[in-house]
Parts: sequence; structure tokens; C-alpha cells
Amino acid sequence: MLPKFDILTDEQINKIHENSMRILKEIGVEFSYDPAIEVLKKHGQRVEGHRVYFDPDFVKEMVAKAPSQFTLHARNPEHNLVCGGEDIIYMPGYGAPFIYEADGVKRDATMEDYDNFVKLAGASKYMHMTGGTVVEPTDVRDEIRHLDMAYSHIVNSDKCFMGSSSGYEYAKDTIEIAALLHGGMDVIREKPALICLINSVTPLKYDDRMLGGLMAYAETGQAMVIASLVMSGSTGPATMAGALSLQNAEVLAGITLAQCINPGTPVVYGSTSAVTDMSTGSLSIGNPENALFTSASAQFARFYGVPCRGGGGLTDSKTVDAQAGYESMMVLFAASTTGVNFVMHTAGILQYYMAMSYEKFMVDDEIAGMILRYLKGFDCESEEKMAFDVINTVGPGGHFLTQKHTRKNFKLEFYRPELSDRQSFDGWSKESLDTNQRAKIKWQEVLASYVPPALDPVVKEKIESFIEKRAKELLNK
Amino acid sequence: MNTIFEEIKDAIVDGDEDLAVELAERVIAEKADPVQAVQLGFIKGIEEVGASWISGEAFLPDVMMAADAMKAGMDVLEEVLAAGEGEGAYEDKGKIVLGTVAGDIHDIGKNIVGALLTSAGFKVYDIGIDQKPEDFVKKADEVGAKILAASSLLTTTMKSQKVLIEYLVEQNIRDQYKVIIGGGPTSAKWGEEIGADGWAETADEAVLLCKKLLG
Ligand code: B12
Repeated sequence: MLPKFDILTDEQINKIHENSMRILKEIGVEFSYDPAIEVLKKHGQRVEGHRVYFDPDFVKEMVAKAPSQFTLHARNPEHNLVCGGEDIIYMPGYGAPFIYEADGVKRDATMEDYDNFVKLAGASKYMHMTGGTVVEPTDVRDEIRHLDMAYSHIVNSDKCFMGSSSGYEYAKDTIEIAALLHGGMDVIREKPALICLINSVTPLKYDDRMLGGLMAYAETGQAMVIASLVMSGSTGPATMAGALSLQNAEVLAGITLAQCINPGTPVVYGSTSAVTDMSTGSLSIGNPENALFTSASAQFARFYGVPCRGGGGLTDSKTVDAQAGYESMMVLFAASTTGVNFVMHTAGILQYYMAMSYEKFMVDDEIAGMILRYLKGFDCESEEKMAFDVINTVGPGGHFLTQKHTRKNFKLEFYRPELSDRQSFDGWSKESLDTNQRAKIKWQEVLASYVPPALDPVVKEKIESFIEKRAKELLNK
Repeated sequence: MNTIFEEIKDAIVDGDEDLAVELAERVIAEKADPVQAVQLGFIKGIEEVGASWISGEAFLPDVMMAADAMKAGMDVLEEVLAAGEGEGAYEDKGKIVLGTVAGDIHDIGKNIVGALLTSAGFKVYDIGIDQKPEDFVKKADEVGAKILAASSLLTTTMKSQKVLIEYLVEQNIRDQYKVIIGGGPTSAKWGEEIGADGWAETADEAVLLCKKLLG
């Protein structure tokens, strides 16, 4: 793996850190959920109403309890993932309510789309897990969506996935399901199998639903991403340093709470901060500022000794065009080369998280493959790799195409694109397909040939009956 | 022409809330014509800002600060305007109750819609986030608003827009209001499905929509 580079100087890190600490101490953070207030009060933090004023030393002490890395367990142990250190984890987009089709049609996402994206991620060589809320399945009643979504991840793939964080009750359901899959609550308490997304409400708030989710995951030792999305210019200051300080304060407050509930519980420092388009007010994510926030967050996570979530194949484009490609590459590349460990939204996102696109998924999958290759860097470990002998054999003026060394090594060293077109003009012009059109053919092929890994029928049956029972209870409420 | 009107216009263009209030107070103290203060001062200013926003020269902070300044100044003049002082009567383009529906706390889009409606001459009553149907109706009755504007950013809270309309039907007051909806995951189709009177994708379209509904 390539060394990760820093974008902030030590002095800048210290300035921003101190600024965040001052925000936590003097301005404080609002927690609407009473049980969370109780926990922080018990730990000696000053509370006025729902506002908590943090003691900086206490924050440092609690953040230090979080592990610098942890393993997420998949039902197939080959897909277990280390989150932290040098590792990077890619997965599909999260939470989009719409599908944008190749021809520009916009429609509501459904459960069928959900299953399809889980399968595409399952089939992908570059998606390490199948993500969570890969689209909002709008045709499923929201009381039971979390159950159907978890089920989809379990039956369509054997990779790790994310669970619901929408309130204590739904979070608990998802954790129960993971426990059934892995052989009991005791098992997953030792070996975390689920991770969820907890978001602050910028500026400086955490709401009931999110905190309920946080408590359920922290109590059972499951992992969570604690993230802040500052829209610089609207929900946060328009200066980069100010927005980063605000984000940092919020994330540290969340991590502190999680560590109060269960010291040592695995958390990931999350950032999706980006900028506001100052003409329309919309969020804008495919830009250098987002790349900078992402890289700075990775550096802050290293500074605090926790893994980092950020970045993705992020774009403001509405279709799979050049803008979608260059923006996505910029943000994913920045995230990957500066040390982000957990990349939600790696593949599929269009228009600032509003839509998923099958074609975009395939484009981002290609981008992910290219970057993973880049991250491997140069291999100088053996004589063979240094290739002196074969250079000697060929000598001045020859060529390497007929060397055994070549035949063996190009397969090991070259990234082979699956979507990009490297043909001649004549070759390409037989069909003249652009990336969008090729991607459409490609995902249909992948889906058609995908066979989900078998699941133990006994386990499957247990999970199904749990879901059936809970669905009845929730729908009759 | 009284130079104070010019000053008011400039204060609005600058988005200077304090100055707008101060000038409005001077209008009353000096017994200047309040209707002219509105027309030649506040409205002229906001129209200028609106025009430069549409042409891409001004940005959201310009428009939103101008709208805030206008609102603050107009509040000061409210009484004398209501008393019918001044040449001719001033009337706003219409009153609108705006809020984010129950269960939803997203408010940036709503705030922008509010600012642009204000700058287009509507009187906007923003009731905030996480609001139940009763809250919309209560405010509308209090101020005599004809449009209820409901924002939702989540697929799970869109149904609260439907609930709002159902509530109006249940209370037999559906015909007293126009209901318009908006927010990221909503669509024209959703608007039709729930029987809303209008949907808009962006804040400037929301202005056109309100003009159409009240025009
Ligand atoms: C910022 C943001 C937040 C902030 C909100 C801060 C705030 N003060 O508003 C925070 C972090 C708090 C947040 C929380 C959550 N969010 Co959020 N959020 C967003 C985000 C990134 C931007 C929203 C925004 O402000 N856009 C900018 C404004 C200007 O656009 P707009 O609101 O659409 O408004 C325009 C138009 O729609 C229209 N309009 C708006 N209202 C109205 C009303 C009328 C009457 C009319 C006519 C027009 C109109 O005019 C506006 C100007 O042009 C969106 C993604 C996105 N790109 O939209 C996700 C998004 C909406 N959030 C989402 C989710 C899931 C959540 C959470 C559940 C947690 C989470 N996983 O992030 C919580 C829910 C909290 C709750 N109970 O409401 C999802 C929703 C998916 C779905 N199921 O529908 C989205 C799409 C992101 C995603 N892909 O996951 N969020």
C-alpha cells in the first residue's frame, strides 16, 4: 500500500483541534434524547437543558478509548474486513430515493432495485461490502423497510453490510437479525458484524432517532460511523477551516457519547462535509472543497487514532457523462490516497446523493478498480520485479512481447479495465458506444450471471421467521 | 421624492436589517407616506436584488439577507399600513404559511423558498420544522393565509404532506386553502397523487407557482 499523504501541517491540525475544543466547551452541543443527556451528566459534563458543554480533557480521554482499528465480520469469513490502518473499504451509495436510468428517465427506487444493487456489489471485485440502504425502497412500508433491507444483504451476498440506525427499536431489530446470522448475540458482541451510520444535525445537534440508534449499537458492541455533513455556506461557515472545526467538534461529541456508553466500542470518524451552491442552495459534492474536507478528515482521524469514513464516487451530475466521471474520480481518489478507510457512496451516486444509477455504479466500479491498483504502488521486493535479467536478455533495440517474464507479469501488474474502451477508432466505431451505453450492457450481463452464495437453510428459516414476526408487530402497531 | 425611500432601497439591497428597521421607524416619526416607503423603498430594493439573483450576479446570502431586512422593516410599518395611512392602500401579494412537515427537520430548502417568496412580495409565515397539519391550519387562520406550503425531504415524511391534505378534507376546510408541496424526493406526480394544488422543484419555480395560484 502507498503511504498516505497529509494535507494539513501539524500547526494547522493543532489550530483546528483547539478551535473544535473551544466550540465544545464554550458553545456546546444539543442532544434531544434524554437518555443521552443522562449518560453525559453522569460522566460529569455540564448540562443546561439539552445543551452539553464538554470538558476538552474528558473528550480527549474518551476518544482515546476508541480502537484504532477493528474487524467487521461477514458470514463468509473470507470477506471479513479490517477497518482502520492502511485498509480501505468500498461499497455502494447510501440512501438515494431515486433511480436515474441510462436514457434520462427519473423514477422512484424499489425493493427490486435494492436487491439488484446488493447483487452488483456482491459480484464486484472492488466492492468490499454490500453497503446499506443502497436505495430507499419506496414500495416497502417504512415501518418494515429495515427488515427487508437487512434480508436482502443476507440472502444476496455473503459480504459485510450496514444496519439500520433509524431509532433504537429498528436498530435493535437489525442487530437481532445479525445475531441470528452469526450464531447469537454473544458471538457478535465479541466479533462485530454490523456497522451503521449516525449523523449529527449540523450545526451542533444530535436528534432522537440517531441517538437511539447510537445507543443500540454501542450497547451491543456493534460498530458505527459517526459523521457530520457540514454544508459549508449554509449549515456551516463558508470558510474551510471554520467548517472543518465545526464538523470536528460534532464528530468528537458523538464519539465521546459512544465511548461513555460502552468504552472501546468501535467507531469510525465520519465526514461528508461539502459546500453549498450559493446560487440555488443545493448541496454540491463533486468538487475540490469536498476532496479537501475528505482528506483533512482522514488526517484528523489519524490524529485521534480512529478509522475514517469519507468521500466516494461523488458527483452533482444527473447523468453518466464526463462531469460524473471527473468529479467522482477526484473525490474517490483524494479519499483513497489520503487515508480514508471506509468509503460509503463509492459507487452509483448521481446528483448529490439524490439518485442511484446502474450505469454510474459500473463506472464507479471501474474507477474503484483503477484506484485500488494505484494504491498498490510499485513492487520492488524481488529480483524478478526489478527485471534486470529480462532487460539484459532483450538488450538494446529488442522488444519484450515474447518474453515469459512479460507473459507472467503483465497479468500481475497491469490493471485490466472492464468498461473503458481501448480499441482503435475503427474498432470502436463499429458500434460507437459511449461509456453510458456500455455500462448499461455490462450491468445487465453481471446481474444475469450472478449466483448469490448459498445460505444455510436453517439460519435462513430462523431469520425469516424473526422478520415475519416483527413485521406483524410493527404493522399492527 | 423623499430621499428616505432611496435609503430604504439601499438598505434592502445591502441586506442591512438594523438600518431597515431604523428607516422604517423614521418613516413613522417623520410621517412620510408608508405606502410609498414600501413601494419605492422596500419593494424596489428587493426587486433589484431578485433581478440580480436571476441574472446570476447576486447569490443566496444577498437575497436571503435582503428578504430578512425587508421583513423586519415591513413589520415596523405594519400598523400604519393596516390603518390605511398613506396614498392608496398597500397590499401584499398574498399570505403563505410555510413549514417542514412532521417528522422532518430539513429546513435549508424551506428557508430559501421562504426568502424568495418574501422577495417576490408575498407575506410568508414560516412555522419551522417538524410541523403537524393542525399547526399549518392554526397559523393560516390566525393570519388569514390562503396558501399552505409544505416541505419534505424524506421519502418517509412525504406521507405527512398527504396527511395534511387529508386533515383539511376531514375538517371540511379543503376548499379554503391552496396546498403546495416541495422538497428533494417529491415530484409533480406525487403532488397529483395526493391532490395538492401545486408542486415546484426549485424555489424560483415556487414563486411562479404562488403567483399563478393567487393571480
Ligand atoms: C443537509 C442534509 C441533512 C441535514 C439537514 C440540515 C438542515 N438544517 O436542513 C441533516 C444532517 C440534519 C440531515 C439529516 C437527515 N437526513 Co438528510 N440530507 C441533507 C442533504 C445532503 C441536503 C438537503 C438540502 O438542504 N438541500 C439543499 C436544499 C436547497 O434543497 P431542497 O431542500 O431540496 O430544497 C429545494 C427544493 O426541493 C424546493 N423546495 C424545498 N421545500 C419546498 C417546499 C415547497 C412548498 C416548494 C414548492 C418547494 C420546496 O426548493 C428548494 C430550493 O430550490 C440531502 C441530500 C440532498 N442532496 O438533498 C440529504 C437527504 C435528504 N437526507 C437523507 C436522510 C436519510 C437523512 C437522515 C434520515 C439521516 C441520514 N442518513 O442522513 C436524517 C433525517 C433527519 C430528519 N428527521 O429529518 C436522505 C433522504 C433519503 C430518503 N429516504 O428520502 C437524503 C436524500 C440523503 C441520502 N441520500 O441519504 N440531512
